[in-house]
Amino acid sequence: MKTFTDDVGRRVSLAKPARRVVSLAPSATEILFAVGLGTEVVGVTTLCDYPSAAKAKPKIGSAIPNLEAIIGLKPDLVLAVKSEIIRPDILAKLSQLNIPLFILAAKTVEEILGHIGTVGSLVGREREARSVAWTLAERVNVIRRRMASIKPVRVFYVINTDPLISIGSGSFIHQMLELAGGENIVGRTAIPYPKVSLEEVLRRDPEVLLFPVGTSEGIPEHEQQRWRRWTTLSAVAQNRLRQVKAELVNRPGPRVVDGIEAIAHAIH
Amino acid sequence: METGDSAAWFLQPAVTARRCSWTLLALLVAALIGLVLCLQYGTEYISLPELARILMNSGVATDSVSGISPAIIVWEVRLPRLLLAALVGASLAVVGVALQALLRNPLADPYILGISSGAALGAALALQFGVAWEIGGLSAVQVAAFGFASLTILAVHRIAVADGRIPVQTLLLAGVIINAILSALILFLTSLSDSTSAFRLFFWLMGSVATIGYAGLGALAVTVVIGVGALCAQGRNLNLLSLGEDPAQGLGLDVERIKRVIFVVTALLTGVAVAVSGLIGFVGMIVPHAVRMVLGPDHRLLLPASALVGGLFLAVADTVARTLLAPMELPVGVMTALCGGPFFIYLLVSHRKEAIG
Repeated sequence: MKTFTDDVGRRVSLAKPARRVVSLAPSATEILFAVGLGTEVVGVTTLCDYPSAAKAKPKIGSAIPNLEAIIGLKPDLVLAVKSEIIRPDILAKLSQLNIPLFILAAKTVEEILGHIGTVGSLVGREREARSVAWTLAERVNVIRRRMASIKPVRVFYVINTDPLISIGSGSFIHQMLELAGGENIVGRTAIPYPKVSLEEVLRRDPEVLLFPVGTSEGIPEHEQQRWRRWTTLSAVAQNRLRQVKAELVNRPGPRVVDGIEAIAHAIH
Repeated sequence: METGDSAAWFLQPAVTARRCSWTLLALLVAALIGLVLCLQYGTEYISLPELARILMNSGVATDSVSGISPAIIVWEVRLPRLLLAALVGASLAVVGVALQALLRNPLADPYILGISSGAALGAALALQFGVAWEIGGLSAVQVAAFGFASLTILAVHRIAVADGRIPVQTLLLAGVIINAILSALILFLTSLSDSTSAFRLFFWLMGSVATIGYAGLGALAVTVVIGVGALCAQGRNLNLLSLGEDPAQGLGLDVERIKRVIFVVTALLTGVAVAVSGLIGFVGMIVPHAVRMVLGPDHRLLLPASALVGGLFLAVADTVARTLLAPMELPVGVMTALCGGPFFIYLLVSHRKEAIG
């Protein structure tokens, strides 16, 4: 019996490595497949679309999971991510039925890479996990070295336009921006996804406006174009309204490194 | 208003036209000073001389250290916000006064008749379907919200009217039921939607005064001035109405016509206010009470005074909301309750003795 402690301090015990895993978030699904699981992934959400093998798996709901569907799959491990809404009644029910629930909560890129190792231990794939994490860490180092000699670019990442929501230093996306050689103009607030004042954006004068696109979380084109009315912004004057694939940035999984590279590509 | 209050009314110094004018003038001056202060605060403090300079030249002034002129911030960000806050705050407060008189219920607020839920449903649908066009400076969400609010007004009226009369009890109940049904529909819609739409609706419901540009403000200002003006003109009638419908009828008031006018104007003003700024609570219920405690229950003074106080209050609340934890903005509805609540408790406690005696 091995006991693990998850990111919110809960103790999770597994008698043997998990063989039937249900994932409650796209990022968790990506980590599971990255460490080499295939048939062992027995349930995913409707939002889990990567890798394509995930799309064929039985669905247990979308943002709000269906308890019966989870139980029906007889999992020996359920993976959840703290940024998603985790309903307390589902939590309580799963623990009542002795179904191990492990909650991941990453604030930094290092922690995300660490999760790959953690999940590897949970499912008995330590070796694959280590190798995947190591490769990803190396790629991050390469980017870090390249960015060391370049002056950081002032970036404003738009999560939502109305209300105006961006990234604070409490979110891993903030660190992704910094690793990609950007300076998050609203980084001085620690709240992960703060509602920010337009005044602050105008004052800090970002050189690049970065919009996530694709999937339902992206910013539609016309909304991006509406930013052009603020002609005093350097980003607008120099026509640097850039896009990045939302799923590479929003998911605390193995593809964050693709995300960092995409951001670097977009802002420089 | 209960008979206790109307007895106190006769004991107050008479609200002469002269006392009324001076009070309103004082409030207007306070409001203007407040507006200037609000323009100075935000993510950066703008000094009075610089503010004066910015307001004098409406063009872009010379660049400051940050490279972005504070003139842009004042003209493009703060001023529209404050004007919207003033218009919405005034509307909500005046509607609160009128409805408290019409329904003879001190707990009445602009949202009690369900119009706000109609607006919210319209907004929820527009957000869900990602409708994006703009008309006359107003966004699709705002137009949809007002459209549904108007439908709600018709529905509530239809339910409440009987033989051309609007019994106040029925009106209240109709509003409460419509509120409940529409709120349930909104929850239903939210449960089906993806997280982004739910997220945007959540913020919309919390209310914001950062939502409009000068084009929309123009149309809004005209509407608000007409609506608030129409209600203020009913001051004498509302004084009579607060004695009770039968006494008022006996004193020569055409009670049903007045009720209709009040209902329509308050409903439209509420619909407009909620459509442009979401559900900002507290202003419509508490400002009337606070003003009534200080200036007395005579509606000829109470209505215009509440408009001025309501507008100033919301503008100040919004300024605090966006300055306290800058660059982060707190929801303005949170500030109205947190700023207004303790102050109101103070008023309540200090006037309690007078109310009993």
